[in-house]
Amino acid sequence: MFFRIMDKSRVLDLVAGLSQDFEVLGPVSKGDAFVYQRIDDPADLRLDYDTTLLPPKKLFFPPEEQMMRFRVADNEVVDDEVYAAPRVIFGLHPCDINGLLLMDNVFLRDYVDPYYKARRDSTLIVGVSCTPQESCFCNAWNTDEVHWGFDIFLTDLGDRYFVSVRSVKGAELLDDHVETRPITDADTAEFQRVAREFEAGFSDELNTSQLPLLLDAKFESPIWDELGERCLSCGACSMVCPTCYCFDVIDRLEPDQKTGVRIRKWDSCQFTEFASVAHGQNFRESRASRVKYRYYHKQWGYLSKFERVLCVGCGRCARACLAGISPREVVTALEAGGVGE
Amino acid sequence: MAPRVVVIGLASDFGCQVQMTNIEDDLLDVLGLIDLQYWQLASSGHMPDSYDVAIVEGAVTTLEHIATLERVRATASAVIAIGACAVTGGIPALASHGRLEERYSLVYGDGPSVAPGRIKPQAVDSVIDVDYRIPGCPIDMGEFVQVLSRALQGLSDHLPQEPLCAICKTKENVCFYERGEVCLGVLTRTGCDARCVSLGRPCTGCRGLAEDANLESALRLLDERGIDTSDVLVRARLYNTLEEAFTR
Amino acid sequence: MTAYQELQQNPYRPWPARITSIIDLTEQERLFELRIIDDGVREAFEFTSGQFVELSIFGVGEAPISISSAPSKQGFIELCVRNAGDVTGALHRKQCGDVVGIRGPFGRGFPFEEMKGNDVLLVAGGLGIAPLKSLINHIHDDRHDFGKVTILYGAKNPSEILFRYQFDMWKHRDDFDLILTVDDPDESWGDEVGRVTRLFDMIDIEPENTYGAICGPPVMYKYVIEEMRNKAMDVDKIYVSFERRMKCGIGKCGHCGVGHQYACIDGPVFNFWEAMNLQEAI
Repeated sequence: MFFRIMDKSRVLDLVAGLSQDFEVLGPVSKGDAFVYQRIDDPADLRLDYDTTLLPPKKLFFPPEEQMMRFRVADNEVVDDEVYAAPRVIFGLHPCDINGLLLMDNVFLRDYVDPYYKARRDSTLIVGVSCTPQESCFCNAWNTDEVHWGFDIFLTDLGDRYFVSVRSVKGAELLDDHVETRPITDADTAEFQRVAREFEAGFSDELNTSQLPLLLDAKFESPIWDELGERCLSCGACSMVCPTCYCFDVIDRLEPDQKTGVRIRKWDSCQFTEFASVAHGQNFRESRASRVKYRYYHKQWGYLSKFERVLCVGCGRCARACLAGISPREVVTALEAGGVGE
Repeated sequence: MAPRVVVIGLASDFGCQVQMTNIEDDLLDVLGLIDLQYWQLASSGHMPDSYDVAIVEGAVTTLEHIATLERVRATASAVIAIGACAVTGGIPALASHGRLEERYSLVYGDGPSVAPGRIKPQAVDSVIDVDYRIPGCPIDMGEFVQVLSRALQGLSDHLPQEPLCAICKTKENVCFYERGEVCLGVLTRTGCDARCVSLGRPCTGCRGLAEDANLESALRLLDERGIDTSDVLVRARLYNTLEEAFTR
Repeated sequence: MTAYQELQQNPYRPWPARITSIIDLTEQERLFELRIIDDGVREAFEFTSGQFVELSIFGVGEAPISISSAPSKQGFIELCVRNAGDVTGALHRKQCGDVVGIRGPFGRGFPFEEMKGNDVLLVAGGLGIAPLKSLINHIHDDRHDFGKVTILYGAKNPSEILFRYQFDMWKHRDDFDLILTVDDPDESWGDEVGRVTRLFDMIDIEPENTYGAICGPPVMYKYVIEEMRNKAMDVDKIYVSFERRMKCGIGKCGHCGVGHQYACIDGPVFNFWEAMNLQEAI
């Protein structure tokens, strides 16, 4: 990896330059919150955002997408092409870049998912450093840092950005669109100071030791019943999660019933029917079992395959949950043996 | 042979039948699939004696409605209830809270007897088995076409069970509760694409309570947030007979 | 691009297959024989007993169905399907010659090669015979590679016994020990009565070289495994097959989670040691 320094004021140049060749997306404000959106005016880009309502997964794995068009008469696929225009997503925080890397394990390994892959392949990522918020706990999973999964990454040093360049395309983006200079020892020292300050900014350290084992050892714990009583089974946690990838597949016929589209849409393991089979058996009928499964899969199921937990500590689920259920609380409860309200 | 379809209305403002005429582009395609034998709003003829699919709008408010529905159930192989009135009792069922007769005399005085044989307003499925339900006030035409299509294919009712919050999150709406305002989405059956909330209005619950909803927890949580839960319940009554929900 | 290459680009794309035969097995179950239409795709379709396909009927949806025919049967696959949901209902309305879609084969099947040289004890309950039928027929076609083969099959009543036309003949064979049982016999029933677990008193096995294969309703596993353990069979030689909700079949949609695994790619066949380590599996 090599590094450059870019004056902060140059960001607008970079975005404007990129817009000539790419669709550029990034965080913009929506009321008091932020959302990833197409950037038509570089001034709309809000690199000072805290977090976005939906994570960038929506740009790779949309809430609802067409998988294929079909013809009923001969049960044939008419079209399953995936169209993905070249684009740059500007301003991803380390947690969200890590979130995409975790999604990659699911969608880009065995049985490569062509829809996700097409969008991933056509997208360049520009990351940006962040400030720990009250709800953040990325430090618990080491997802507060990111070492790959971006083309360039901008670390805020006050008046300038310390630019990490990861890919050839990233280097080209810089060369083509913006003026930068080499780093000095003073820049590196400041980079280190900022990193230490960032680390110190987290509100607490979450004790995650032996979590997968605890999930099994405390599988019958009353913690889950307490959480199940509170859970609203609304699925908001899954929707806003940068790493929840479950989906449902639905066929929709056109009004003439001759052709139709097979679509997929985000699903949630918190919904009653998520694990029920045609004969009527439901393998997770109680709310408690469903809440438990969400954590069991994230902290152990996924880990058993990919050696990482399926959480990046972004805190979105905790913010979205009306019942106030958060990974931080659940992990702490498992550690301590009870839900502390 | 195209399935023979009838559309009948009970107690309602016929809004959902009007909505059916709004399919516009798709209307001819849909009509091409069915043999529409009677449409209360649009036909001058009489109900035929024999048909395959009955689409029922409106709440049950009289003994005559019960007799009609029993005939419908004995005749049709598929019954589709459309709109909040038919599915949850809707607005007419507001009258079922408290003393019904007093309400009638309040509105109509002691004059000529209106609605002879009147009964407590209720949903269609409290009288007969319903195969397909399309909730909402008014119904969504996209959903209507999809459900009609499922009915014609003999597929199961595909009514969503979960509350609105999930789809609302995908629309990136800021939750009303974050602003201390009441929104019934957390209790209400999804399937409407969170249209009202996306337009800046809280959910009024027109699609009825979601099977998955956790009423007890929701009310407790709202109470903890300092929200007057009796007000929430009053709002929820607009489209729901809550007593049944709590004993469900 | 050939059809095969096209299909490899998209694992969600169903392969058109023609229904070449339909046999009514019971009131609710039919056996569908399918032939993949494209030659290249058909030749590339190789599976092991215990694997499943996603059956795809456009306009209705998809459902995972285990393959009932043996891998040794070339060019065709058989699916034993109960009319239980929208997709299976739509399949039941199809006729011979109609085209449906299939994707697969998916999942991990029974360890056929590893089982060779050993005795096999197969226990099926109800529709659970569907995936085991593939294994039974495969063993049949490779019979000299196996020791003693015992099949215990239970159903609610005689009219729900699947593949009865075959099993009635097999009862008289020397190379298979087949015992049928029903909970509710009728006057014509001449076989056993009671739960399938009761049949364990009637069989002798050599535990050190016997593989077990179990498939049936979820409530059955615990009791059958208990019987096998009572016979001192090894936990890692007892194989079970799980049915779960699935949307994709390829480890993405998340619906088939069983414990920390996915039934679609890690199963649906697990040995009992693995299954014991899957929360809420048995």
